Amino acid sequence: MNGSRAAGLTLAWRFAAFRSEGFPLLPTLILLTLALVAIFANVITPYNPEIGSLGDRFHPPVWQAGGSAEHLLGTDHLGRDVLSRLIFGARVSMVVGFTAVIVAGLLGTGLGIVSGYLGGWVDQLIMRITDTWLALPALTFAIFLAAIVGPSEMNIVIILAAVYWTRYARVIRGEVLSLKERDFVRLAIVAGCSKRTIMRRHILPNVLNSAIVLATLMLGVVIVTEASLSFLGVGVPPPKPAWGLMLADGKKGLMAGYWWLTVLPGCCIVLMVLAANLLGDWLRVKLDPQLRQL
Amino acid sequence: MNHPRTLGPIARRLALWGLVALALLTPTPASAGPEGQLTWGVHLSLVTRWLDPAEMEGILTPFLFYYALHDALVKPMPGHAMGPSLAESWTMGKDALSYDFVLRKGVRFHNGDPVTAEDVKFTFERYKGAGGKLLREKVREVQVVDPGRVRFHLREPWPDFMTFYGTSATGAGWIVPKKYVDKVGEDGFKKAPVGAGPYRFVSFTPGVELVLEAFEGYWRKTPSVKRLVLRAMPEETTRAAALKKGEVDIVYLLSGPVAEEIRRTPGLRLVAPLVAGVFWLDFPDQWDPKSPWHEPRVRLAASLAIDRQAVNAAETLGFSQPTGSIVPRSFEFALPFDPPRYDPKRAKELLAEAGYPDGFDAGDFHPFPPYFSMGEALAGYLQAVGIRTRIKTMERAAFQTAWREKTLHGVLLGITGASGNAATRLEGYVTKTGIYAYGVLPEVEDLFHRQARELDRKKRGALLHQIQKVVHDHVLHAPIYQLAFLCGIGPRVAESGMGLMPGFAYSAPYEDLTLRTP
Amino acid sequence: MRRFILRRLGFAVVSLFLLSVTIFFFVRVTGDPAVLLVEPGASQADLDAIRQQFGLDQPLPVQYGSFIAHLARGDFGQSFYYRTDVLELYLSRLPASLLLATVAMVFSLVIGLPTGIVAAVRVNGWWDSAGKIFALLGLSMPSFWVGLLMILFFSVYLGWLPSSGSGTLLHVLMPAFALGWYFAAAHMRLTRSSMLEVLGSEYVKLARLKGLPEALVIGKHAFKNALIPVLTLAGINLVLMVNVAVVVETVFAWPGVGRLLYEGIAFRDFPVVQATVLLGGAMIVTVNLIVDVLYAVIDPRIRYER
Repeated sequence: MNGSRAAGLTLAWRFAAFRSEGFPLLPTLILLTLALVAIFANVITPYNPEIGSLGDRFHPPVWQAGGSAEHLLGTDHLGRDVLSRLIFGARVSMVVGFTAVIVAGLLGTGLGIVSGYLGGWVDQLIMRITDTWLALPALTFAIFLAAIVGPSEMNIVIILAAVYWTRYARVIRGEVLSLKERDFVRLAIVAGCSKRTIMRRHILPNVLNSAIVLATLMLGVVIVTEASLSFLGVGVPPPKPAWGLMLADGKKGLMAGYWWLTVLPGCCIVLMVLAANLLGDWLRVKLDPQLRQL
Repeated sequence: MNHPRTLGPIARRLALWGLVALALLTPTPASAGPEGQLTWGVHLSLVTRWLDPAEMEGILTPFLFYYALHDALVKPMPGHAMGPSLAESWTMGKDALSYDFVLRKGVRFHNGDPVTAEDVKFTFERYKGAGGKLLREKVREVQVVDPGRVRFHLREPWPDFMTFYGTSATGAGWIVPKKYVDKVGEDGFKKAPVGAGPYRFVSFTPGVELVLEAFEGYWRKTPSVKRLVLRAMPEETTRAAALKKGEVDIVYLLSGPVAEEIRRTPGLRLVAPLVAGVFWLDFPDQWDPKSPWHEPRVRLAASLAIDRQAVNAAETLGFSQPTGSIVPRSFEFALPFDPPRYDPKRAKELLAEAGYPDGFDAGDFHPFPPYFSMGEALAGYLQAVGIRTRIKTMERAAFQTAWREKTLHGVLLGITGASGNAATRLEGYVTKTGIYAYGVLPEVEDLFHRQARELDRKKRGALLHQIQKVVHDHVLHAPIYQLAFLCGIGPRVAESGMGLMPGFAYSAPYEDLTLRTP
Repeated sequence: MRRFILRRLGFAVVSLFLLSVTIFFFVRVTGDPAVLLVEPGASQADLDAIRQQFGLDQPLPVQYGSFIAHLARGDFGQSFYYRTDVLELYLSRLPASLLLATVAMVFSLVIGLPTGIVAAVRVNGWWDSAGKIFALLGLSMPSFWVGLLMILFFSVYLGWLPSSGSGTLLHVLMPAFALGWYFAAAHMRLTRSSMLEVLGSEYVKLARLKGLPEALVIGKHAFKNALIPVLTLAGINLVLMVNVAVVVETVFAWPGVGRLLYEGIAFRDFPVVQATVLLGGAMIVTVNLIVDVLYAVIDPRIRYER
């Protein structure tokens, strides 16, 4: 009982930890800013991000010759305002990224706990499925799913979650295996708690740390995968302004010198993924030094 | 790796000595035979089946290989929709039940065997590609009259026989050597194909690269370029980069800003032959009386809402040809229609007249993959007059399956490349047997059946014109433009062979290609 | 020990069997290959003929039975799209993929190992941050973007490297870097944590007590031991690289198996997809098996744990 409490407390953000060495202040600020931008996207965008006119295409950013203050960061191949698209893109990318990571996390953590705690044939079954899953390259699998369910934001989330839940399942199962042998779990068994109660009250709080660390690190992977899917033509459907889609659409302009179409969304992706990873790395050290192969 | 052409040091030295010896022995004349190398950056993965005309599946791409390796009795040539090639001439029997072909004399395959009537018969019977079933149903027998003459007997008069046999509609007329195929077997033939074309096979890495060498005994002329290399480069920007760097001489399929960059790079040229593909909007819900699309004025409004020239400029730098019909002008029996003018005001009026003054929700917009950005632009124009759609991008196979199974709704941006003539182009989209027709006008169906039995060319043409007029007047579709295939050409190329034949997108005939003399 | 190995072998076979069923039925619900082989607008007769030729008109269980029966004889079938033997096709692409993965692995370790060591030894120092960010950048930039930027800079602008294709060692540099950079962060992380673990061990403490210079302690004693898990991960990642290189292969027109698989899916070339996924899966399963067995040999406790 006590053990689980203590572990639960690590979660309850202790300020001491925040001030301690190496707290990634900048990455946290970046993520917070992006989150704010995403939340207030409809308030701060100058234009409708999905509507443009072909006559206005490829305007450069304001500081470049030919640019105007009307479109601060220029326009894209269909004449849409790039700034507006980047702002709304934050929302799309964050919603897709976070939802996918959370859905995958719930599924993977749940199955990992069940698999690790129950053991026996349930464990065997889940682990064999995980093996099979891992043997399918993630992108391949994603393309398959895209072909079956068709693209929409919702389906991209499902696809990404379906591809990446196994990462959680494996790590969490490993943790559960060692937790099972700990005294507080044994005590709970002796005290006559049901398996469900033990999994929920004793195991779950103790693996949450790992799940959160994993989720932070997976956020980057998910967002980059989303971009790659767009490159292969099965990502978030246009005209939705997802960063990955903007990057994939913009690559045509790279050679002709329309650098802002790729560099800007690319930088947004890099900022967000980098920030999430730096934060994740720090959390990993803080919360769970044992966690290794991610 | 995968490059058998890199010689070892000893072989290289030997080859060098050989060249020196040759140079000493032969007084070098002005035309010293084929020289130099041309390299293509091809947008597609190069596949084994394109080496064998028997596998042709109703797409133009394999002709990329055929025109080099093989030759046909009759094939499209510059200035001739049906150019006599291995056949010097052909005649139709008086009863319209037989066709006689006289073979060109002295023509040989790459391995030295002569091209004979037996090969023609063998090729026809071996053919298993597109239109094969139809050809076999219509042709009763292929008769070898003598080694230089072959006769096709039909079961019933068939006005389209030569359209199927002598154009790119099928690959049945592309002759393969019977003796060689019998000797090496089907697999052996694909490993080392032998044909009667201007270039002989050197090596092939599936998916990656085809290397060919000039066949000096080609009947039409000795090719001018010694070596051809076709290299697969799936990514557009990579192709353009390779062209700029001089690694390749010709790249296929560029678009928008990439093409623009090639056009303004000194030393490079952009060419844009029109191909048979036509883009058009289809309104699958028009056959449902409850749908707004059922009303012809609504469909006309959609058509008038589109600025075809602007889309053309954005996608293909203005090289495509806006059109009012899904049948290209160059097709036999085509009835040309001017593209509908861009008139959003009239479009709004039409919508109001039809009872939708505030526009309406038109459901999903399905662009043909991968033309998503074009779809976005078109959907934007519809939106501007009040026809609100949601873009729904699909993966290629999924889209085509859904289209054919008739499960798409709303608006779809289609492209059609069906070849042949106006009848073969229209069949799939406006008739009961058409696999992409979501509904049929009885009038059109009746006319189509009549034209299929009509032997008189003039009367048939009139019937087909009538069909096209009905299709146009009912606004069954909103045609956008006939596609231009943008390609980049490097500084070393003199004659690229691009656009020499109407409707054919690639370099051909290969024997006409030349390099610039330095 | 033998029982352990047999058990693991059994698992591997079950996994592969599951994979074969999954992939077989998966690929068949994604659409019809016939429509992709013809020009849009082809006639029903042509489509039917293609379907018949591929045996797609048969009921699914019959198709699966025949697939397994052929597989048992080592026959993966004929590609729909290429019209050639699938295994031959796969093997013709494999060397290019292995070369790419190997060079990519070298890049990845060259970036990942030093940054990982620095991160463990000089925690939160300037070098640590710089190294970490460089390694993480590779993870954050979609590889098609990295690839295109490199082509434009190194090939078109500077003219140093060939833009695409294969053939010489110069050709492999850019795609291998793009691929290796992505994996660098994983190697950095593992190097770091395994270094920390080793540095905290009695054995290293003893070396320090003996008064060995710090550089020697880190470079020789600690690093050598920390390397084992990293190399294990590298082994697994090497196989992964073969399978996930599709984007890099597309950008650089690199003739590997990733591209083969991607086109297999795009064109619904069922035999190609089945063969590539199964053979790729077999590689992963085999490497995992070897790793498991090796660990079991080193540490007998594992045999009973799992």
